[in-house]
This record gives sequence, structure tokens and C-alpha cells, in this order.
Amino acid sequence: MIRKIIHLDLDAFFCAVEELRDPTLRGKPFAVGGQPAERGVVASCSYAARQRGVHSALPMSQAVRLCPGLLIVPARHQAYGEMSRRVMAQLRMLTPLVEQLSIDEAFLDVTELPETGEILARRLQVRINNELKLSCSLGLATNKLLAKTANSVGKAAAKGNGPPNAITIVPPGQEAEFLAPLPCDALWGVGPKTAERLIELGLHTIGDIARWSEADLGRRFGKNGHDLAQHARGIDLRPVITQRETKSISQETTFVRDIYDGAELQRILQGQAEGVSRALRRKRLTGTTVKLKVRWADFTTVTRQSTLSQPTDDAAPIFNAAGKLLEKVWSGQPVRLIGIGISGLGAEVRQMNLWDSPNEKEERLQQTIQTLQTRFGAKAIQRGDRLSDLMDETPWE
Amino acid sequence: MRVSCFQENLAKGLSIVGRAVSSRSTMPVLGNILLEAKGNQLRLAATNREIGINCWIGAKVEDEGAITVPARLLTEFVNSLPPERIDMELAVRTQTLHLNCARYDANMKGIDAYEFPLIPTAGDSSGDVQESAGMVQVTDGMRIELAVTGLRKMIDQVIFAASSDESKPTLTGVEVSFKGERLSMAATDGYRLSVRSVLLSQGMIEGDLTVIVPARSLGELARISADADEARPVQVIVTQARNQILFQLGGKSEETKGAFHRVELVSELIDARFPDYRAIIPKSKTTRTVVDTAALLKGVRVSFLFARDNANIIRLAVIPGTGEHAGHVRLTATSTEMGDNVNEIDAMVEGETVEIAFNAKYLIDVLSQIDQPQVVLETTQPTRPGTIRPIGMGEEEFLHVVMPMHPPR
Repeated sequence: MIRKIIHLDLDAFFCAVEELRDPTLRGKPFAVGGQPAERGVVASCSYAARQRGVHSALPMSQAVRLCPGLLIVPARHQAYGEMSRRVMAQLRMLTPLVEQLSIDEAFLDVTELPETGEILARRLQVRINNELKLSCSLGLATNKLLAKTANSVGKAAAKGNGPPNAITIVPPGQEAEFLAPLPCDALWGVGPKTAERLIELGLHTIGDIARWSEADLGRRFGKNGHDLAQHARGIDLRPVITQRETKSISQETTFVRDIYDGAELQRILQGQAEGVSRALRRKRLTGTTVKLKVRWADFTTVTRQSTLSQPTDDAAPIFNAAGKLLEKVWSGQPVRLIGIGISGLGAEVRQMNLWDSPNEKEERLQQTIQTLQTRFGAKAIQRGDRLSDLMDETPWE
Repeated sequence: MRVSCFQENLAKGLSIVGRAVSSRSTMPVLGNILLEAKGNQLRLAATNREIGINCWIGAKVEDEGAITVPARLLTEFVNSLPPERIDMELAVRTQTLHLNCARYDANMKGIDAYEFPLIPTAGDSSGDVQESAGMVQVTDGMRIELAVTGLRKMIDQVIFAASSDESKPTLTGVEVSFKGERLSMAATDGYRLSVRSVLLSQGMIEGDLTVIVPARSLGELARISADADEARPVQVIVTQARNQILFQLGGKSEETKGAFHRVELVSELIDARFPDYRAIIPKSKTTRTVVDTAALLKGVRVSFLFARDNANIIRLAVIPGTGEHAGHVRLTATSTEMGDNVNEIDAMVEGETVEIAFNAKYLIDVLSQIDQPQVVLETTQPTRPGTIRPIGMGEEEFLHVVMPMHPPR
């Protein structure tokens, strides 16, 4: 059966949300991210800024150099999350077969719908343009690889100063032909390392890869080699996965200035443990393995982990474990980044404690806090000793 | 020092004291084992400050003396030797111990025995220990005698319930209390509780006494007692300062190879208040289930195969019998990735049907320590603790309380 897969990507998503908030930003070169003095990086940038060579993940200090007069807008992740949820809800109105790839990207499997893929794609784009006032680009093809690749190609080819709002279609049977002229690193899954090795073999385009022997690619790249050969021929059988199993939950903080103070590090860990605990409860999960990640001032990163005696969704044991791990690795050196993760996730079953009576109270308290935070956001209620916290927290999952 | 002994006896002695050696200590001498030749015995000793073990084995002493040598080297060397006579001689000037056995010779560099910490001892019948290196005699405190097998069984039936979480030091201990004529032991990790008690043939003369002994120390005691002479009682002394407990065990007959004369284990006590476990023992029940111990243990072990990658959770459905059908316990375990399993065990059920989830490992721990053919499981609600005890033992003799797992909200 020929599938109809749509890849949808919101154009300069964070910036688009900021323009909705402040329409005077429209057309101006601006970037969402941290201040250059605070070692910020570009999270997203407007099309006007892109024309000056600014791109996401660029250090903000460099972005300002490339584009003098660049406006820097602080990130409001909560607003982006909220808007992303509205977009995904729109997509799910079309089909429940939605695979969210990131905050601003998703696949849809519309094979079962009677209309043509093109009609569905246009309708979806119009709806998001009109109802959510967001620009978006779509790729339509017979599989996820082609849909995503088509979308990137289409967006890159778009002319004009504004967002592309493109729709790019690869008709059935033309997959290999579409891919053939593209450079190797345009193939989804080919990173800089792989691209380098492919070029060493004299393979510059995806077409070159498709003509190379699959067996040889297998020998050189292992399982990835076979995938590479298949993908280069436009073959991708991966289904749209509506629910991805969460393997770990984590939170980390990069500091504006390196931290030397052990008490402060412990306090930050406490806050992160609470964040991880909230995420566990939201997903109705418990975890057993606590992982601590610390990056020193010289960018070397250490991770340590320990296993709890009982699966938990509670902040206290997560913090205790992480705090102990920190004591083991930290001896006063400056810390640039710190984070907590939990894995070994399982269903929300929990060994009850014999002395549970005070904990019942604690549990009611936790549930109340959770309800408040769900309704009013994480900052609505928090521990008193975290109120001075001005750090930007970004979840890594 | 010049002394000879049999390889089997030395190896046995080293395996006993070896468990008290500090693997990582800032004091190098704590990584050593003390050897002291005196009278007709060789004493081996090791300590990690929490626990100290003295072990006396039979030996032919030509010159008395003492030395400490690295524990690991000595133990691994002796374990490699043939079962023959080992001759040891200390070169005092260089503090080097020469060992010879069959055609194996070795010199081990030691540390002076006087650097070894003092380990309290009960003293033997002759009572003369003042001259020994690294040993101080306990002269006061409370003394009591206990039967070896009874003590070992008690320990085995409670220590598995103690916590291994060092952040809760109190729960890593076992509450040992002597009250009137009764000796009780209790351990809990907060999720389950095991309480065991026996009547003593001799009561406490000096009044009641309650101490918290590290579960690890009692575990070592149980392990050593397997090689002890069961006809001789274990001497127990709690020091006057209530900070240490000492156990003395007699070895099997002296002709036996691979035996010791006497072992003393001294343990620090945990200075804390043990949680009031009496308060959490359920006072009522709505379902009483009598089941064959071995059948239940087997059923739980089978379910555990499926439960172990799902937080060990197994669900028990206790179903009373009707006119024609016998009552039974149905065990269910589900693994999202591997599959699921249901086992049924006949049971005599009085009261209401109940469904309750437990950690399978906890049930295996307790059931495998019960010798009686039948056990009784008493429950109320799926969120309230269940109790397990062997049929034929009173509640005051053996009681296990286990908290269920939280059902999905």
C-alpha cells in the first residue's frame, strides 16, 4: 500500500510566537535566546536575521557580530510549549496518527484519509495559518524520510524575506530521483562524521550512495550502512509512532557564571529534583536510577549514577541520591552546568511505607502542589529557598 | 615468634576474620591481619572499627610473639597451599614473617603488632589476656548465654528485613532486646518488619536491656556460627558503656581439621532510637488465609520471573472457598515486555475476598526463612499492611509485617 506521510515544521517557531506577542518585531532581525554576556546561544532567529548569516545554536555574541543591531528577545519556553500543544491538537483533529518529533515538528500518517495528500496538506497549512496565525511548511511523500527531506528542500528553496510557508511534494515512485542530486548530508541520519567518511569514498550525493554496493556500506558502517543504502534509494518503512516510550527524564541548568558554592549547587539540585519529580508524576511514572551530570568550567563533563532501593516519583530520594553523587565528584572546582536525570522508568507503582501515615499527608500536599502547578505553571508554587533562583532551566529528555 | 599450624585451620581462621578487614582505610594496619602466637594457640584478628573479630586456632608455639601482615596477600597465599603443616617465623628486626609449607616459601613484610587497634575480648577460662597485643578484656557489662542454633535461626529470620541504605543508619541495625525471660529481635527497612522472639532458659539478672546491633555484624555472627560447636552456648556481653556487644563462640572438637578453638566478634552498637514498630503491627484483620508454605513460596518464585522487570510487583487475589470449590490464592505478574503469568494455590480462606499487591522479593525473603509447613497471611485492605507468620508459632514468637505496593492511581 502506498502511504501518505506529511512532515510539518513550524517556520521560525519561537520567533513567530514572539511576533504574535509583539507585532512590531515583524520584519526585523531578531533572535530568541540568552544575552551574549550570559553566554547565551540563538534558540531561534527571524528570517531577516537569517539573511545576515545568523542561525540557531550560534553563540549570541557571534550573532551580534554578524548582524549588528540584532534584537535579542529572551525565551519564554512556557509560551512556546503552550502554542506547540495547540498546533499538535490541530494536527490530531485531522488524524490521531501524529508523531511529534520536537516542539515544532511532527509527522502525520494520512494514508487512510480519502482526500489526496496534497489537499490535506493545503488544508492543514491554511488552518494553522488562519487559526493559530503561524507560518508552517509541509513535506508530503510516501514515507517519513522523504516527507522530512522534501520539507527541508522546499523550505531552503523558498524565495523572499518572509517565512517560507512551503509545501513540497514527492510523488510516489519518484523518491530515489528526488534524493539523487542532494548532497549526502541532506539525508536524514547522516551527521558530519558519516558525511566525511562518505566523501572519503568519493560519494558526494545521495545518488552516489544509492549506486554504491549495499554490502560494502554494511561492512563499513554496520547496521547504519544498510539503513543508509535503503534510505538513499528512497526506501523507509518506519511507521509513524504516536507514542514514544519515555526512557529517562531529566533537567539541567547552565549557569550564567560558574558556580563555586557547594550549598548553592545543592539548592539547584533540589530544584531540579523537584522538576524531575513533577515530570514523573505528570507522566505517571516512577524511576530507579538517578544520574548526575556536571560540566566543569573547561567543558569536560562527568556523569555519575546510583540506583535507589525503591522506584520513586518523589523529589526527596532523587535529590538525596544526586546530592551524594555531587559530593563524590565535586571538590570545590567551578561548575558550568549541572543536571539530574532519572531512568529505569516504570509504571506508577510504589512500595508503600509502613510508617506511611505522615506520608499520606505529604502525598496530599504533593498532589495539591501538582494540581496548582499544572493549572498555573511551575512557578505558581515552589519551595521558599528557591525563590531567589533566576536561572534558566531547560529540560533535556 | 615461631609457630606451626595446619593449613586447613589457618585458612578457616583467615576466612572468618577476613570479613572484618578494612578494604579501604587511611590506617594501613587495618588492612592487615594480626597473628599472635601464645600458649598453644595462634590468634588471628582483624577490625574495621565497626566490627572486630578474634579467632583462636590450634598451633604449636615454640616462641611467643605477634605481627600483622597484609590480609589479602596472606589469605590468598594460605588458600593456595597444600593441606599440610605451615611453619611461620618472625624476623623481629625487619618485621618480616617467613612462611613455609611443603615446598612453598614466602616472606611477608608486616607492621608491628603494637600498632594494631585494641579489640575487646571476653577472655578465655584462664582469664589471662593482659599481656596480649591488640586486645583488651571486657571486665564489666551484662552477660548472657544463648544456644547457637536458636540464635542463628533468629538472626536469619530477621536480618533480611533490615535496610541496606546507609542514609538510614538506624534501620541498618537489628533491635535486640532482653526483657524479663524473653529475647527479641526486630528489623525493618520501612517497608517490612520481621520480629522474632524466644524464651530464655535463664532470665536477665541485671534487668532489661535493649540495643541496636548492625545487621551486618549479626550476619557475620550467623555465618561464623555455622562452624561453631552447637553444644556450647554463645556468650553475649554488652559493655557497661552500652556501646559494644561481644559474642564468643566455641569451635568444634580440636582434632577436626578446618576448625577453630574460639571466635569472638565485637560490634559497635548503633546509638539511636529504634522506630516504634509495635505501633504499626496491624491489630485487626478481615481476611485470614492459611496456605502451604512451600507451595506459596514456589508460586511467588514463578511469578517473580515475570515481576522482576516490573518493580517486582505481584498481585495476590485471595478468594474464599464456596460449597464445592476450595479457597485459593491467585498470583498474577505482568511484564509489559516479556509476558504474564498466573498461578493458583489452594488455601483455607476465612473472611472477604481481597486483592493486594506485594513486592515478590519481600515475600520470597520471608517465606524462605520459615521452616513450618503452613503459614497464615492476614490482610485488611490493599493499602494496609499484611502479616505473615508460621502456623504453630505464636504471634509473639514470629511475626512478619509487609507493606503492599501502591496500586496504580
